[in-house]
Amino acid sequence: MLPSSTLLSLAGPAGPASFPGQMGHPQTNSSPKPTKIFRKKVLPLQRYSINGLNLKRRNSILTFAFGKEAKDNFFSDVGEDTDDMYDELLNNYGKVVYKKTDQKPASEEIDDDSESLSFAVEMATVASEVKAGDIKVLFVKPLVYWTRFFIIATAFSRPQIDAIGSRIRDRAEKKYGKIPNGDSKPNSWTLLDFGDVVVHLFLPPQRAFYNLEEFYANATAVELPFENQSPFPSERGAFDLLDDDAES
Amino acid sequence: MIQPQTYLNVADNSGARELMCIRIIGASNRRYAYIGDIVVAVIKKAVPNSSLKRSQVIRAVIVRTCKELKRRNGIIIKYDDNAAVLIDKEGNPKGTRIFSAIARELRQLNFTKIVSLAPEVL
Repeated sequence: MLPSSTLLSLAGPAGPASFPGQMGHPQTNSSPKPTKIFRKKVLPLQRYSINGLNLKRRNSILTFAFGKEAKDNFFSDVGEDTDDMYDELLNNYGKVVYKKTDQKPASEEIDDDSESLSFAVEMATVASEVKAGDIKVLFVKPLVYWTRFFIIATAFSRPQIDAIGSRIRDRAEKKYGKIPNGDSKPNSWTLLDFGDVVVHLFLPPQRAFYNLEEFYANATAVELPFENQSPFPSERGAFDLLDDDAES
Repeated sequence: MIQPQTYLNVADNSGARELMCIRIIGASNRRYAYIGDIVVAVIKKAVPNSSLKRSQVIRAVIVRTCKELKRRNGIIIKYDDNAAVLIDKEGNPKGTRIFSAIARELRQLNFTKIVSLAPEVL
């Protein structure tokens, strides 16, 4: 609502002001500026419609101006006029919604999310292959803007942290071509920053000390395929077995 | 613009309250530290019964400065205070939580651990 109103307020004076300009109105010098700003900000489609509007409005003012005396034209209250214009604009064309041009469409966002989700799940799987304990994948995008997924895992010794870290690095580089920032040496809290996915590898005391899960308790945990051996395939397996039994 | 003798607030729950910068790590004769730089500091005030004591020498990362931080896109950030987060030699934070807002430049400088403990990132 607010952006639309600001837009309109920018657009409003431009319409009527441009006409008296032709009649020698003193305010004409300021009139081209708002139109310019306005045109820059609006999307092409919306611009088109608004331009059409302005033209229409000009014509109507034309008739209005000639209907009255020239004095009235010069000293007429612009505020009332613009209010009327807003109403007419809103009635005819509805609210114009201001939109940033650099915003991605929702579908693209979802695609990005699913891409990083698959990456995060893959990394978690790699960690579980090297026997990391208590692996959690958290979807933290609603809470923090700077990343999408957290992977939190416990390793039980520094060599194991090294092993998990190097495995994850290798897989990420080979399969996805991503190289992490963060710790290069094994550390009691090793962090691998892939941009959209951040991997935290803790030793058990550090995990309890920093307690990241509690800090990000509002994040939704992602279900992992290796955790409960994914119910769907196992069910199907069970049905297959039943079928086999029935056939035999 | 943090230089030796500058007093810093502590932006975490490590137990220290106030620090004094005694050395800036980086070049041999560096004059000032800004956001994301590591300094050596001495604890001037500490919470009673905490593991950190007064007059202990530790390392800290500057997270907030009164001196404005400029970004390429024209944004300028300046805080009301100079504040630091205590870290150990490995770069792990001493505290478990960070207080108030910090700048996202810390992530680019490989302090993602601090960023992930912070409640708000500007």
